[in-house]
Amino acid sequence: MKPRLCFILSAALLVPPVVQAQLDFGKLTKALDTGSKLAKTAKGVVGIGLPEEKIIGESVALEVIGQFGGLVRDEDITRRVNLVGLALARYCDRPELEWRFGVLNSSTVNAFSAPGGYVFITRGLYDLAGTDDLLAGILGHEISHITGRHALKIIENGELLGGAKALIAERSGQFRDAEARVNQVDAQLQQFGPSIKATIKTIIVDGYNAPTEYAADKGGHDLARITGYAPGGLRAVLQDLQAKKGDPKKIFSTHPPLKERIKRLPDEPAAVPASPAS
Amino acid sequence: MKSRSASYPWLAVLLLAAAVSAGAALAGGSSAYTKRFKTTLLAEPSPLAQPAGELPYGRKVTVNEVRGNWLRISDGPAAGWVFAGNLSETKPAENKGLDGVPLAASDTTATAAARPLTPVAVEYAARNNLVNARDDLDWLRAQNAAVTAEVLQEFLQTQKKGEFQ
Repeated sequence: MKPRLCFILSAALLVPPVVQAQLDFGKLTKALDTGSKLAKTAKGVVGIGLPEEKIIGESVALEVIGQFGGLVRDEDITRRVNLVGLALARYCDRPELEWRFGVLNSSTVNAFSAPGGYVFITRGLYDLAGTDDLLAGILGHEISHITGRHALKIIENGELLGGAKALIAERSGQFRDAEARVNQVDAQLQQFGPSIKATIKTIIVDGYNAPTEYAADKGGHDLARITGYAPGGLRAVLQDLQAKKGDPKKIFSTHPPLKERIKRLPDEPAAVPASPAS
Repeated sequence: MKSRSASYPWLAVLLLAAAVSAGAALAGGSSAYTKRFKTTLLAEPSPLAQPAGELPYGRKVTVNEVRGNWLRISDGPAAGWVFAGNLSETKPAENKGLDGVPLAASDTTATAAARPLTPVAVEYAARNNLVNARDDLDWLRAQNAAVTAEVLQEFLQTQKKGEFQ
């Protein structure tokens, strides 16, 4: 399918809920005006900057939390995940992002990342990460998706955010009153809606393509090594999962087969045997 | 059935290139880039050494010497030791705001951890029945904010990670 046609179809499929939201807020005229302006600027696709990444990332993070049973509100677990995650993020290629790490209340075995620095690991996977070396292997992989801007590249390639920067820049000086702010939020929601939905579909439903996942595996491996964690942490987790032979639909369902991932990891021994988290 | 490597012969080439690149970055005479808004150069290859200078974000530097995970780098007259994890092998993308001006450190660093969600995300949550998820996210942001730079520094020291290996 030609990219342009694909874009149009995607927009047709994804925009209605957002337009409905516009109707709910009685801003139809403004929305149509905004849509027209966006269409005019749609060809001016540019790289997604930090402000846009932050908006998309926060919205995607909300969807991930909502679709995976909410967060595990355990302070000790969350602190551990954030300490290990922030240690890794300190040495990644985007150390200045606002990195945050959470545990999802789901028994499935998976991990997700959202643009802007949000990393989530399910409780099912967390319980397998008995040591910080193993946890670092998992988190490093997800950090690499963010530093590699993997989700954002899909948006950019699909032209789903055409003209957004121009629109926001134009309006940024118009926040004179509350009504203008509401209009701004409406316009941004309409604009970012397709990007958010596309990112969610990639992260939760389809997953990235295999080469992207292997690149994240390697990036995570390298990041764990330079930070001082055993570089075989991810290998240990994957081998443990492979040995358990669980339901494929519940184990890294959005990632390539475990066998292939293990095979393509840098040739280093697994860190330590995986064991239940304390 | 064709193997994945057969399906993606270019992948093997890319991975090989990346591996070669990683090794080259650690070699003397190669180049690297600063990736923090401020990168402190040290007089010795130790996290406790005296500062010998400071470089801004995205500066291309020359690697003059390698000692384990520590690199002696130079950028014109500025020279000193840096932990390898504080440099990037590739030039970082510029962090520009909507007006095209690079964002200040205060706009992007973890010191802004307590900053609220963007109005768009708040509205997104309200319109998509994600109020509970928003509560969870607010809770997570508060937990995350408790891990201050000082707390993380202490963690790295006690766990012997990063510069403290």
